[in-house]
Amino acid sequence: MTNNEQIQITKDKEKRIKIKKSGDYLIELNSKGAEAIISGSFLVNKSNDLNINLIIHHKAPNTRAETSLKAVGKDRARIKLVAKIVVDKNCNGVNSFLTERVLLLSDKARAEAIPDLEIESDDVKCSHAASVSSISEKQIFYLMSRGISKQKAEEMIVEGFLEN
Amino acid sequence: MRFADKKTSKKDPFAKQNYRHGFSFSTDNYSHIIKPGLSKKVVEEISHIKQESQWMLSLRLKALKQFEAKSMPNWGADLSEINFDKIHYYLRPSDKQEKSWKNVPAEVKETFEKLGIPKAEREVLAGVKAQYDSEVVYGSLKKTWERDGVIFLSMDEGLKKYPDLVREYFDKIIKSGDNKFSALNTAVWSGGSFIYIPKGVQVKLPLQTYFRINASNAGQFERTLIIVDEGASVHYVEGCTAPNFSENSLHAAVVEIVVKKGARCQYTTIQNWYKNIFNLVTKRAYVEAEGEMIWTDFNMGSKVTMKYPGFVLAGKAARGETLSMALAGEGQHQDTGSKAIHLAPHTSSSIISKSISKDAGRTSYRGLVNIGPKANNSKNTVVCDALLLDSKSRSDTYPINKVFNSKVEVQHEATVSKIGDDQLFYLMSRGISEESARKMIVNGFIADLVKQLPLEYAVEMNRLIDYEMEGSIG
Repeated sequence: MTNNEQIQITKDKEKRIKIKKSGDYLIELNSKGAEAIISGSFLVNKSNDLNINLIIHHKAPNTRAETSLKAVGKDRARIKLVAKIVVDKNCNGVNSFLTERVLLLSDKARAEAIPDLEIESDDVKCSHAASVSSISEKQIFYLMSRGISKQKAEEMIVEGFLEN
Repeated sequence: MRFADKKTSKKDPFAKQNYRHGFSFSTDNYSHIIKPGLSKKVVEEISHIKQESQWMLSLRLKALKQFEAKSMPNWGADLSEINFDKIHYYLRPSDKQEKSWKNVPAEVKETFEKLGIPKAEREVLAGVKAQYDSEVVYGSLKKTWERDGVIFLSMDEGLKKYPDLVREYFDKIIKSGDNKFSALNTAVWSGGSFIYIPKGVQVKLPLQTYFRINASNAGQFERTLIIVDEGASVHYVEGCTAPNFSENSLHAAVVEIVVKKGARCQYTTIQNWYKNIFNLVTKRAYVEAEGEMIWTDFNMGSKVTMKYPGFVLAGKAARGETLSMALAGEGQHQDTGSKAIHLAPHTSSSIISKSISKDAGRTSYRGLVNIGPKANNSKNTVVCDALLLDSKSRSDTYPINKVFNSKVEVQHEATVSKIGDDQLFYLMSRGISEESARKMIVNGFIADLVKQLPLEYAVEMNRLIDYEMEGSIG
């Protein structure tokens, strides 16, 4: 079932990459000006697994990447998001950002978020952020006070979370 | 010959040549130097010299087996240079614990004099235990604490005087089999502190220990156990320096802390080992309901440091905090971080890590946040900031967030940056030299953490950073 994909981005090219299922992904930014916008949104339910292993490898100066992974876990879902930004030596002017966000809707659901950074150049801007949480009571309350049922409110929030 | 291999310091012709700090003396006066290398016999000998009871010996021997069975950890820093056969597992400078300063051997005294210990102790400190190699040689505790029933002893004394208390908690928070180096420590431990704070006692001044490694290849295997009883609070400070020796030394300590209901413990480490030392430390606190554990961890010295102070939040509404600072220069790798294990509801924790890499140094943040199935309504925040001062240096961030519960808030953030040209330009346009401007920016970067230190350490820390930054313009 595992999917194994390698994508190379060459000079001054911009690529939008959508990650749609579990698997290992390697994205290489090979020469100056390469840019990648990587996204993935997942709804995992029942006892399904989601297992993403992503490497964003900056091999040349002035390359950019923006990565956003989002997942919602229902029922007995297991979610594992591993994403790593690697910046080689002498790669100045790299900008790379990574976010991993997980929404857990059931106590039986589990999530692991592992955002890694390996930086070997100094003139770079790199950051990552990860969060795991449930739907905030406030949001639900707000929607319910507008006459929306709890279930419907949850659905709306999940929809909004995954959509971008 | 079993006890007295007295040639240690003379074997090493480089000790004097590379000498920089000026506090090093020969170790001819050591009363016991066990031959380098590790075996069942060495462990039995250590236990015999210390006249330990059977349970401790059995524990040591069990740990030795675990140490031998475990492979070297290969997931972090490069440890291939450690040669376990070359390390001295036990050293003791003089036969008995010195009670008054007058009886402390002159050369030991001179070393301490240069570190400024006696003055500091007389004037400010609540109690100082000065550790010269493997044993505590000099220690005192202010009478007020004694009246309150505070126990502050070396681990060896603690084991002799309070065997039941030690046995109840020793090897419980960190099992000998936890990792290869906790097993090694349990097998050959020597020295370290034993602290007990009775119910409701607030120790206002920090308790402090100075650790020193002073013989080439002298492995230091301190074992510290701190028990803070219900509603009590304590701040413990450990600071380290070591003189220069050309062979690699190993430092593998274990620190176990029990924070009982409503109690508070802050443990501050200022680690400035000389740059040939492998510093592989296991530290963990077990926190009961409404208790609070704070690790303040500054790592500047050593060749390799691997240290991830952790807390197990086992009681409702327990809180944990780690403030971690790492500075890595040439040839150094600081692999530090923290572990937050949430087991009970309404627990909260935060981890703040700041690292600075320069001259091809490498800093890594490695952390674990684990929120268990019963830890509903728990919160965790991790913030990692890294500063790279030149293009040869390296910074890594390896966080792991595991969540087994939906009613939680877990957040992680990390950034890597360098000193901004705009920041430098601004300061220099105000007439500040580039070097001072850089120092100011770096000191500002870690200011939040330095503020958490006792005053004299905060001053020292700023000086150290200034010193490390000297001539860094390239």
